[in-house]
Amino acid sequence: MNQRATKLITQDAVGAFLRKTLQPGGSVCLGGLFKQNRPVALVRELIRTGIGELLLFSSPGSGYDVDLMIAAGLVAETFLPAVTLETRMCSNFRDAVENGRIRAHAVDALTIVGGLTAAASGLPFYPVAAWHGSDVTKINPLITPMVAPFGGETLHAVKPIRPDLVLLHAQEGDEYGNIRHLTTMTYSDALMARAGTKVIVSVDRIVPTDAITRAPRATTVPCIYVDAVVELPFGAHPTGSFPHYSIDEAFIDGFADISDDVRRDPAARPRLDDYLARHVHQPRDIFDYVDGAGGYRRMAELEREARFL
Amino acid sequence: MTAPYSASEFTAILLARDLHDGERGAAGASATIPMAAILLARALHAPNIQIAGEMFVNPQPRRLWHSMLDDRALGRCEAAETFTELFEHSHRGLDFFFHSGLQIDRYGNINLHFVGGTYDRPKMRGPGAANISYAARSKRFYICATQHTPRVFVPAVDFITIAGNLHGPDSRRQAGLVHEGPRYCITPLCVFDFAAETGLMRLKSVHPGVTPDQVDAASGFEVERPALVPTTSPPTEIELATLRRVVDPAGDLREGHSL
Repeated sequence: MNQRATKLITQDAVGAFLRKTLQPGGSVCLGGLFKQNRPVALVRELIRTGIGELLLFSSPGSGYDVDLMIAAGLVAETFLPAVTLETRMCSNFRDAVENGRIRAHAVDALTIVGGLTAAASGLPFYPVAAWHGSDVTKINPLITPMVAPFGGETLHAVKPIRPDLVLLHAQEGDEYGNIRHLTTMTYSDALMARAGTKVIVSVDRIVPTDAITRAPRATTVPCIYVDAVVELPFGAHPTGSFPHYSIDEAFIDGFADISDDVRRDPAARPRLDDYLARHVHQPRDIFDYVDGAGGYRRMAELEREARFL
Repeated sequence: MTAPYSASEFTAILLARDLHDGERGAAGASATIPMAAILLARALHAPNIQIAGEMFVNPQPRRLWHSMLDDRALGRCEAAETFTELFEHSHRGLDFFFHSGLQIDRYGNINLHFVGGTYDRPKMRGPGAANISYAARSKRFYICATQHTPRVFVPAVDFITIAGNLHGPDSRRQAGLVHEGPRYCITPLCVFDFAAETGLMRLKSVHPGVTPDQVDAASGFEVERPALVPTTSPPTEIELATLRRVVDPAGDLREGHSL
């Protein structure tokens, strides 16, 4: 009785949390950036729920995880500024757009950050001044031209972005949902947490609340913005979670190779289904997943790379 | 002919030559060559160059990586910001930024979204652009083309992701673009600059061993060129040695590493 409620949920409970907070056709927003701090384990769990027709948002740079969601057929529309593995393209995304299976809206970083800022601040819009001359302004569904009330400059107003569900990954958190990034960069994670209707965070490790209260300025996402926290060691894999473990480029390439083949020749699709079965649907938990992704040996290599940067 | 340096190394060196001490600029995602250029300028002649605007303030990477916007590459730095600060930098402005593209047209407009078909049903979908604001808000930018073919260098891009000179100086003014826009476009074959009167790309110099006709053949539009086209000054010993020793000890820009 009379005890503060924990927000810590078990791995087994993540699926139920996702089903409770997200309907088919709902909106999801992913934290991290490109190949680091992406909530990939949560994305795999989301794919397992089969909740589809999703509107997908992300921090300005996305790659492996959104391509995985698209490969699994969960996504109806994307609001993603850049979709790339940086050294190569995301073939599932490309193929789905080229064949009309998804609508990929033209948005950029300031659309996303402006829209999240509006939502987080309870504002009806956020003004942006920096898009002169780009065709993105002509078809971006989240913006409209406006005249500045002071000075009369022509700007664009961005609509609030309030995702139904925000998925984040960080290095540490306590059971009440106080989140701590140990990375150098923190992307727009804190902003997304403030903007989202519901927020779930995976952390590499749960720490005692004492560790949080000893250094409150180190808390990057306070518990008041977090609905559930789950301990998922290597939960960002194959993206990096610095300073704990680096980016598994070989693993990402393995997926990209298969995806490239399927884009060239749809007859190769069973290989992609095998990949989804092996790495998304079959693993019973994160430990089982890690075993299938190179196990302790591979994770130790990625940890070592992160230590020696 | 094999040059004793790669096209990527040469591009980084050429860009570095144009970055000045005390300037502030940033690279971006998938920007190994631009980041190499900034780091090289810092090592050679611009110790007070400030790197900021893409979240990492004055990073000190020990080597290059093929993606240059993560803690692996830039985690050693003086400060880290968030995406919110993109607005602030828009306000304060950057001196320089870099772009590359699926298509680049003769006005220096850049397409990263799609080629062929329509926006909703493209023949080929590109990655899109994380950040398009610096095209308007940085004082100038550079275009880095890792391939010089008629498919990349087109008369008019299918979609203007990044505004270059649009359709000339008047259209830039009308769109509210007040800065210099694209300064140089550097390719594996040559350096282009832009004519102030027309905003059109023109051949500034050809790289050693390349003829102007080769540039013509590799471009999908008629390239404006002076009667006598100079040859791009090749890397000096100091430039190449500093690049390899200080900036790129792992050799990511060397031949055989695809970027």
